[in-house]
Amino acid sequence: MLTKLQLHLAAIFVKIFYRDRQAIFFSLLFPLIFTGIFLFSDGEPDPLKLGLVNESNNELSIKFVEMVKQEKFFEVKEGSASELKAELIAGDQTAIIIIPRSFNNLLDPGKLRLLLDASQVRQVDAIQDSLEATLLSIERNIRNIEPMFSLQLEDVKARPQRYIDFLLPGILAYMLMNLCIAGSGFNIVEYRRRGILKRLFVTPIQPKDFIISIVLARMLIIMIQLSVILALAIGLLKINIIGGLLPLYGTILFGAFIFLCVGFFLGSLAKTQESIRPIVLLFTFPQLILSGIFLPITSLPDFIQPIAHLLPLSVIASTMRDIANDGASLIAMNLNFLGIILWVLISFFVATKFFVWQKVAS
Amino acid sequence: MPIITARNLIKYYPCPEISGENFAAVNNINLTISAGEIFGLLGPNGAGKTTTLEMLEGLNQIDGGDVLIDGIDVKKNPYEVKKIIGVQLQSNEYFDRLNLSDLLTLFANLYSTTVDPMHLLAKVNLEDKANAKPDDLSGGQKQRFSIACALVHNPRILFLDEPTTGLDPQAKRNLWNLAKDLNADGMTIVLTTHNMEEAEHLCDRIAIMDQGQIIAEGTPQQLILDHAPEPPKAALHGNIEDVFLVLTGHGLRD
Repeated sequence: MLTKLQLHLAAIFVKIFYRDRQAIFFSLLFPLIFTGIFLFSDGEPDPLKLGLVNESNNELSIKFVEMVKQEKFFEVKEGSASELKAELIAGDQTAIIIIPRSFNNLLDPGKLRLLLDASQVRQVDAIQDSLEATLLSIERNIRNIEPMFSLQLEDVKARPQRYIDFLLPGILAYMLMNLCIAGSGFNIVEYRRRGILKRLFVTPIQPKDFIISIVLARMLIIMIQLSVILALAIGLLKINIIGGLLPLYGTILFGAFIFLCVGFFLGSLAKTQESIRPIVLLFTFPQLILSGIFLPITSLPDFIQPIAHLLPLSVIASTMRDIANDGASLIAMNLNFLGIILWVLISFFVATKFFVWQKVAS
Repeated sequence: MPIITARNLIKYYPCPEISGENFAAVNNINLTISAGEIFGLLGPNGAGKTTTLEMLEGLNQIDGGDVLIDGIDVKKNPYEVKKIIGVQLQSNEYFDRLNLSDLLTLFANLYSTTVDPMHLLAKVNLEDKANAKPDDLSGGQKQRFSIACALVHNPRILFLDEPTTGLDPQAKRNLWNLAKDLNADGMTIVLTTHNMEEAEHLCDRIAIMDQGQIIAEGTPQQLILDHAPEPPKAALHGNIEDVFLVLTGHGLRD
């Protein structure tokens, strides 16, 4: 399948890329920082910072305050209204609850006032909902009533699923895409501008041989980079790759091939170093949002979902997530695997078909 | 025995002044170059020398006419032609972080062959630079190295595009000797140049191009006899620069 020429060339490109220590160093710095951030936050969102102003200060209100404090969703701070309001405006508190003076009578406790800085709180509704749910359960507790209906949360997959478990495969896929496109797209524009590609074009090498050899070399480098990230994730963040590393690496290989080829294609579209950046951004940025990296694709508007599922980053990220979280196999006969095969063919076709060796007369 | 035959070669480029219009950068030229010759293409800037050379080498699409290199049709089999020709381009840039020895090995790989880098570097007087990077070389050394790169597969024909432009007299003469040596071993050499002394000293035959056409062709002696400005009282006088200026005029070109 692979010719001697392609392997020889790949070995030379590995040498070239490996000698670029600075690029390798900085490409590993980002994952280190990323891992560090999650290590300190334990992969869970921070509790909501809640200020409590107890104007009533009687037995009932003190009991209420104690119960709010026990809720793990809240990080409670008690204080005076003016002090907490200043903190709210400064962004140190997310919301303030003011317990009115009349809060002593179980029959008519008056209204609790909730103060928010709407410009700082993205999901006012969600906060209000979770606060109301908490207040309801506290009220039941105080009034000593059993809830009539209750929900018991049970994960069908019966595994502890943290946000980081969802996030990491997607972030890995996203980093894979960026490393690949930087590795082929930006490279190729620079090589063409300096006339290096023209010098190669003088020789009998064909675009497919050149592309395959760079893809092979980049794949090796990218595998090493992603292995470092994976090792950190497994070692420090205790990420569990349920499906095993082999299918995960298989997916990464397919992904690297697709995105390197796309990089070559984008690099052939771009005539200058200046134009490659916006062109690459046009390809990568929508996928950051649409490919379910931070939030599941199913949370997108209905009409976008079918398109979003087809994007190259979606099929790679979803497959990696299925392998890591659900123990799926890579070649599960599902749409994601079909998508991967389709993108392998499409990307290789456009990369070789539109390859440009030298500057075109404009 | 002709090794290169070009018939009615045409190349159009978009006209820089009028958008949407084309002009013929190479306009219907014919060339016959024999095996073992050193053939020079002369002409002012913009005459179409490099474009002609690139069409012969299979680097530039041929808009009209045909080229046969050693019996191979360039339009049909550009990759076959590239296997038997060595090309030195006007500007030569290489991959960063590879030394001369690495680069020669790389180029040999591109021709699916192997090479002894030290032997080739010795041929162009660069054996002590094997571990240097191309950026560390002087202008003359760079040109010699780019010729070494063009020789990795022992080509039958060597194309040199303005090989001595920007070189000092020593480097220039050194390069001429290299070309003569290669030619003595049987290599056909096609070069473009602005240097009249070079054309006269090095070339067996010369074609002078202007505005996309060949306006004179022959041995240096014949061209001097035919076109030198003073009436030929003595058998040979004037030089190729005189011939060049008479044929292409004294006006400055871009």
